[in-house]
Amino acid sequence: MIHCDGLSLQLTHRPVLSDVTWHIEAGSVWGIIGPPASGKSVLAKTLCGLFTPRQGRLTVDGVDLPGLPEPDRVKVRRKMGMLFQNNALFDFLRVRENVSFPLARQNPEMPHHELVARAQERLRAVGLSGSEEKWPSELSGGMKKRVGIARATICNAPVLIYDEPTAGLDPVTTSKIYDLLTDLRRKHASTVIAISSDIPALRRFVDHILFLHEGRIRYCGPESGLEACQDPVVYQFVRGQTEGPL
Amino acid sequence: MISNFLASVGAFVLGMIEAFFQALSIAGRTFRGVLHTRGRARGEVLHQMYQIGNRSLLFVTVTLGALGMVLVFQVCLQINKITGDQSQVGPEFLRGMVHAFVPILTAMMLATRVGAGIAAELGSMTVTEQVDALRMTGVDPVDYLIVPRFLASMIMTLVLGIYATVIVVLAGALMAHTAFDVNYAVFFVFEKITWGDLGVGLTKLVVHGGAIPIVSGYCGLSTTGGSEGVGTATTRAVINSSLTVIILDFIISAIGLMTVQSGT
Repeated sequence: MIHCDGLSLQLTHRPVLSDVTWHIEAGSVWGIIGPPASGKSVLAKTLCGLFTPRQGRLTVDGVDLPGLPEPDRVKVRRKMGMLFQNNALFDFLRVRENVSFPLARQNPEMPHHELVARAQERLRAVGLSGSEEKWPSELSGGMKKRVGIARATICNAPVLIYDEPTAGLDPVTTSKIYDLLTDLRRKHASTVIAISSDIPALRRFVDHILFLHEGRIRYCGPESGLEACQDPVVYQFVRGQTEGPL
Repeated sequence: MISNFLASVGAFVLGMIEAFFQALSIAGRTFRGVLHTRGRARGEVLHQMYQIGNRSLLFVTVTLGALGMVLVFQVCLQINKITGDQSQVGPEFLRGMVHAFVPILTAMMLATRVGAGIAAELGSMTVTEQVDALRMTGVDPVDYLIVPRFLASMIMTLVLGIYATVIVVLAGALMAHTAFDVNYAVFFVFEKITWGDLGVGLTKLVVHGGAIPIVSGYCGLSTTGGSEGVGTATTRAVINSSLTVIILDFIISAIGLMTVQSGT
């Protein structure tokens, strides 16, 4: 589905990703973890073509994404839905308009009443019925996350990327959101990539883990093999120890 | 030490060149976007026209009204000291306002008010990933965010410029009449204004109006960091928009003098 070979990226003359080689099969569920500023979000955005790597190869469904000009990348992005770290809800649109926005862009001929119905159905699925006419500024952090998830999933894209789906949320809301993501994954058999700092909750949700540190992969494999990884950075991070290279 | 200094100078120059070409690229994409403006953009253009035009009305009225009064007062004062013949104050004042002062002053005021607003809005959208979210859904941020502001700013700078000319001339005439007893009929002599002056003035208004959202939009879309980055982008937008207006004004004035205004 998605293949990265030797991907490297610089932002403001600073290396952010170095030699990332990663293969994501269709239908798999990956978690990306790592210390802050290790390049997790940048890697996710690079997979969507929002950043262009300096070196290496990136293919999505066999298409060389970095080689495409921006207008052609849109066709590839239609296969993806993304929840951004800051939710990225458009503050000039109401909740319903935010959710239906990607659908309206992908289907310009879709009648308005159908767009409204699809947005309402998606908001119902994330437990936000009745919030359709609210502005993003009127929502709590957890509600914004759910609206972001509704918007990311409304097109039923085969690849879903969730950047920090539970950051700053209480344990109950975190569990609810992971239950929701699990339901959505089961329904649509999507390929999922989730970035989170809440390692225990993430590990229950994913079946593969990619560990990034300073833009380099330290671990890439099954979730069950993470405990056995002897890399000192991974070892320290996963166990939450204060002594070590981090 | 010296090599570090040279490296930082080199990085600064390269950064400036890169920024120039990026701004140029945004200008090109904006012009292309104008050709493909659809229904949604038309609604957004009207909204932006209100934001840019109506919201600037009081600012323009007060500033240019005061400026017109001060300018005429000073000119009449100096003429009184030399010849005392104030018959040419009105005609020269009118001509200067139409082709030179009003276009640049209106644009400079809009560069501060409108430019800062555009950069702050787009900068906030950039740092909160809303611009990435737009790109993710297949929307070109230039097409969606800058093109409506570009069209609205061009139209409203022209309208505000014409309005400002009326205000500044009325304020100037009022000052000349009340403080120096200049007859309105002597002041309002439009014969010195040529079609060339009018053309240059209107061209300046349209070009300046178009330049402000492009430069400010570029500053907003290239914002990095958090709220500090938005602040920096806003400052950059005001400075760069003002500088762009001054440079464009100089170029248009030079072309005008060499062509349509030659011999006047």
